[in-house]
Amino acid sequence: MLEYIYILPLMGFAAAGLIIAFGRHLPLKGASLAILVSSWAFIHSSGFTVGQYKISMGVYVDSLTLSMLIVVAAVSLMIQIYSVGYMKGDKRFKRYYAYLCLFTASMTTLTITDNMMVFFMGWELVGVCSYLLISFWFEKPEAAYAGKKAFITTKLGDLGFLIGLLLLFSVMDTFKLSEIFSRAQAGFLSIHAATLICILLFAGAIGKSAQMPLFIWLPDAMEGPTPVSALIHAATMVAAGVYMVARLYNLYLLSPLAMEIVAWIGAMTAFLAATMALVAYDIKRVLAFSTISQLGYMMLGLGVGGYYAGMFHLTTHAYFKALLFLGSGSVIHALHTNDLREMGGLMKKMPVTYMTFMAGSLALAGIWPFAGFYSKDEILVWALSHNTWIYLIAAVSAMLTAFYMTRLIVMAFHGKPRNQSKYHHSHESPLVMTLPLVFLAVLALISGWGLNSGRLFEKVLNATVPFLPEMRIHVSHMKIALASTGLALLSIFAGVYLYAVKPEIPEKLKANLSSLFSMLDKRYGFDAFFLGLVKVSDFLGRILSRLDFDFIDQIAIDGWAYLTYKLSAIKAWFDDNIVDGAVDGTGYLTAFCGRIVRLAQTGFVQNYLLFIAAAASFFALIVFYH
Amino acid sequence: MPLLTSTIFAPMAGALAILLIPGKNKKLIQFLAVLTSAVAFFISVFLLAGFDKSSTSMQFVENCAWIPAFNVNYVLGADGLSVAIIILTTLLTLVSIIYSLNITERIKEFFFWFLILETGMLGVFAALDFFLFYVFWEIVLVPMYFLIGIWGGPKKEYAAIKFFIFTLFGSLFLLLGMLALYFNSIPHTFNFLELAQNSSAFSFKFQVIVFIALFIGFAVKIPLFPFHTWLPLAHVEAPTGVSVILAGVLLKMGSYGLMRVSMPILPLATKYFLPALGIITVINVVYGSFVAMAQKDLKKMVAYSSINHMGYCMLGMISLSAIGFNGAVLQMITHGLITGSLFLLVGVIYDRAHTRDIDAFGGLGAKLPVYAGFMTIQAMASLGLPGLAGFISEFLSFLGAFKVWPYLAGISVIGILITAAFFLRMIEKVFLGPFNQKWAGLKDMDARELISIAPLAVLTLLIGLWPRLCLDFIDPTVTALAEMFK
Repeated sequence: MLEYIYILPLMGFAAAGLIIAFGRHLPLKGASLAILVSSWAFIHSSGFTVGQYKISMGVYVDSLTLSMLIVVAAVSLMIQIYSVGYMKGDKRFKRYYAYLCLFTASMTTLTITDNMMVFFMGWELVGVCSYLLISFWFEKPEAAYAGKKAFITTKLGDLGFLIGLLLLFSVMDTFKLSEIFSRAQAGFLSIHAATLICILLFAGAIGKSAQMPLFIWLPDAMEGPTPVSALIHAATMVAAGVYMVARLYNLYLLSPLAMEIVAWIGAMTAFLAATMALVAYDIKRVLAFSTISQLGYMMLGLGVGGYYAGMFHLTTHAYFKALLFLGSGSVIHALHTNDLREMGGLMKKMPVTYMTFMAGSLALAGIWPFAGFYSKDEILVWALSHNTWIYLIAAVSAMLTAFYMTRLIVMAFHGKPRNQSKYHHSHESPLVMTLPLVFLAVLALISGWGLNSGRLFEKVLNATVPFLPEMRIHVSHMKIALASTGLALLSIFAGVYLYAVKPEIPEKLKANLSSLFSMLDKRYGFDAFFLGLVKVSDFLGRILSRLDFDFIDQIAIDGWAYLTYKLSAIKAWFDDNIVDGAVDGTGYLTAFCGRIVRLAQTGFVQNYLLFIAAAASFFALIVFYH
Repeated sequence: MPLLTSTIFAPMAGALAILLIPGKNKKLIQFLAVLTSAVAFFISVFLLAGFDKSSTSMQFVENCAWIPAFNVNYVLGADGLSVAIIILTTLLTLVSIIYSLNITERIKEFFFWFLILETGMLGVFAALDFFLFYVFWEIVLVPMYFLIGIWGGPKKEYAAIKFFIFTLFGSLFLLLGMLALYFNSIPHTFNFLELAQNSSAFSFKFQVIVFIALFIGFAVKIPLFPFHTWLPLAHVEAPTGVSVILAGVLLKMGSYGLMRVSMPILPLATKYFLPALGIITVINVVYGSFVAMAQKDLKKMVAYSSINHMGYCMLGMISLSAIGFNGAVLQMITHGLITGSLFLLVGVIYDRAHTRDIDAFGGLGAKLPVYAGFMTIQAMASLGLPGLAGFISEFLSFLGAFKVWPYLAGISVIGILITAAFFLRMIEKVFLGPFNQKWAGLKDMDARELISIAPLAVLTLLIGLWPRLCLDFIDPTVTALAEMFK
């Protein structure tokens, strides 16, 4: 059965092609033929051979693959159903579904492949789907800009990924996962090579999974349709970086330094993003910052040795974050605004959305018995056993998480409506949208407990990596759970107090601490830094372009031509005056001599006789005196 | 049937036939031009069918004496290095001629020169005798000069002369190198294969000198920094169909020459010059991409991106490994397809809007969805999106080069980022954002344009998904070439 798993991505690619081709536009029939032919080619290609190397398109299936695959499939399905309602009446409905299919197919390819080159292909393809879907409503300049920003920012990380892959290949001579693992175990990799490769590959994950400092693209990516944000920018694609680290955990374990970097980047990301979420007013952006923060959590978990912890959090987070995004989509669908300051009191109008959103939020805040409690707990345990500082950062971030989610819920669903006309027109979303919400809410409630019970998930997952690290010191699960639940409850109360009971306090704080708020609003200047980088490279481009045209082309090349031209003019002058002058001069001289000599040719015999007599006397005198 | 000779001279026969038709008979001339290039294309497809993929030796060899007194022979042959490029040439000529059916000025001369050009190019790729190679090499120049100079844009005469002088300058060195090889081989020969077999007889010093001479000839064509400044000018001024041929085929004459002539005949010098070649390669990749990013003219941007992409091709070559060579040859093919289509697509919008200023458009994606789709696909292919042809060749080139030149390859990846940046910016400015009402009258692509552009897009996708389509032909030959350098 498993050997046919490649059919999964294939169906997606085929579906994408068929939708594009057989929408209402029949003239595209030619394209559909092309797509069918390509699909056929894809099926029949068992890779290719270059020199002694063979690149093949095989699959590598273990429990890690399956756990990721289930997440991708389940969330994809929910989003596809939900989108029927959300995208109803959109003029590019057909194209939307084609892109979604293409995405799911690429994501599945990346998940099941046994080959790092194919992994990279899937990795880039999901990036392009993300680009296409972020700028899906491309008439909006912000959407167009956000798509480009996402693509180029992740591409920056991908450069590291690419170099890492090249290095991996030049050391290992293979892209096949199984061979990479066995060769890594056999000691093909020095510790330095392993460190370098892992850090370079991680650069790709920093881009794709929106880690510090490349996380700047994800908040802007919220310009895309909300179901897309749920699928790509919360549950699956952004988790691909985490999946990559987990997939290559065998390599990462070889390098303590790389692991440490993963952990610290994750921790910093988790904290910074959580603080940025505190001041955002766009409901989707709050969730986006939260996603970044949670992805940081997963990285942190993997980095401190919690292999199962990271993947566990990836799984539960996929469900409850997709749920939260879909819930926010339901709100946006009803109100036609993203701004929290225009919401309020929606609890009564949208009960299903409210209840499910609540479930998602509690899961995110880590309240028992919701899913996030179990997975976050697992990460915190590993963090504490590894390094107290990392634990503290993670714990504070968790607190902040509970706080900003409370803020969001209070502002959106409780209190009095701030915008009466919008409130008046709002309504609960149709069944096709609420059904996925309910399904995901159930998962947000039970997936943590379910996967954790009997620690079955842990066992099957841990079986995929042969030499997992043990915890350095034993940490009590119970104590951690109590501590984090206490902190979460504390911040929930604080949130309720600040935003529901005394809403004037945050306003005052904002006025008094405006520099802090604006720093958070400006995302600590990371955006400005990268914009500066863009400006610098643009400047460099312009300088080089000027150099190319003004100097190399106009001065060096055309100048040479000009000199040649001038030189030939001088030659022409020389030719005209000196060479030709010499020739003419010779002629003139000859003629001149001729004229002189001609004077003697008088034609009179007497003169000739006189010359002969004079000459004869002259010679006679010479002979005589000699 | 001598397949190669038929492929090469079918266009010339068509050209001569066109000369006999009165100029008023425009439809007939156009029909004949399309027919001839189609015939050449179909004959060349037979090459694929008869090609033995497992063999590393020359196939379809034709050999007869031409000037026996000097041992000059008419020798043709095809192997993995040339067979795909030959088909690329016939295909690109066919689609360019179809696209050029919109030419209204002096049709007869246009198609005459175009078909003569095809004969010249095909001859270059099939010739195995240096003398014959040189003759074809020079034949290419003349039609190109007229095609740019008569049917080009505002600065056509300047561009044509610059192209001609630049290339002629290179040819001069090529001629010297050729004669040096001839007079130093015993017995005197022009045959590539015989020269390569006797390469050990050439002293190192001799190889170095001849390599420099040949290199200048080829570098101008590729073009390598700093011999590249004819390219943006010629590409921009040339009419659309001719730009396609310039970028798609003419540039490959240089890279092909390096792999067919310089490398096998002068292996010692090749190794000696590798570091220098590597540095030029990196300059081509990085510099080309940065300069492309600064361009406001769509066509100029694509032209400079060619400098960057030929840099990837060089990157594969300097690895001297089977992987890199595969990448380099495949890059020649994919660059031909992708950049060829990009030039056609630029032509489509220029024919309608009469401007190529990237900033002049906006939101065209809503109005011209088919056009936007093709442009996006080819831009993505050019920036190396997996699943499209450009990815495989670039990746293989990098893979080969990284093993030998990790730092050079590492720096070159900047080119990938910058390429992505300027193509995405172009897409954003031209197709996305609010629709610019100025272009409300624009129409989407018509049949002529679709027929010329769609086949290239299909191949771009097909090779991207199934690179074996090309690599199976290329691999044995270049693996044998790489063996030489071990």
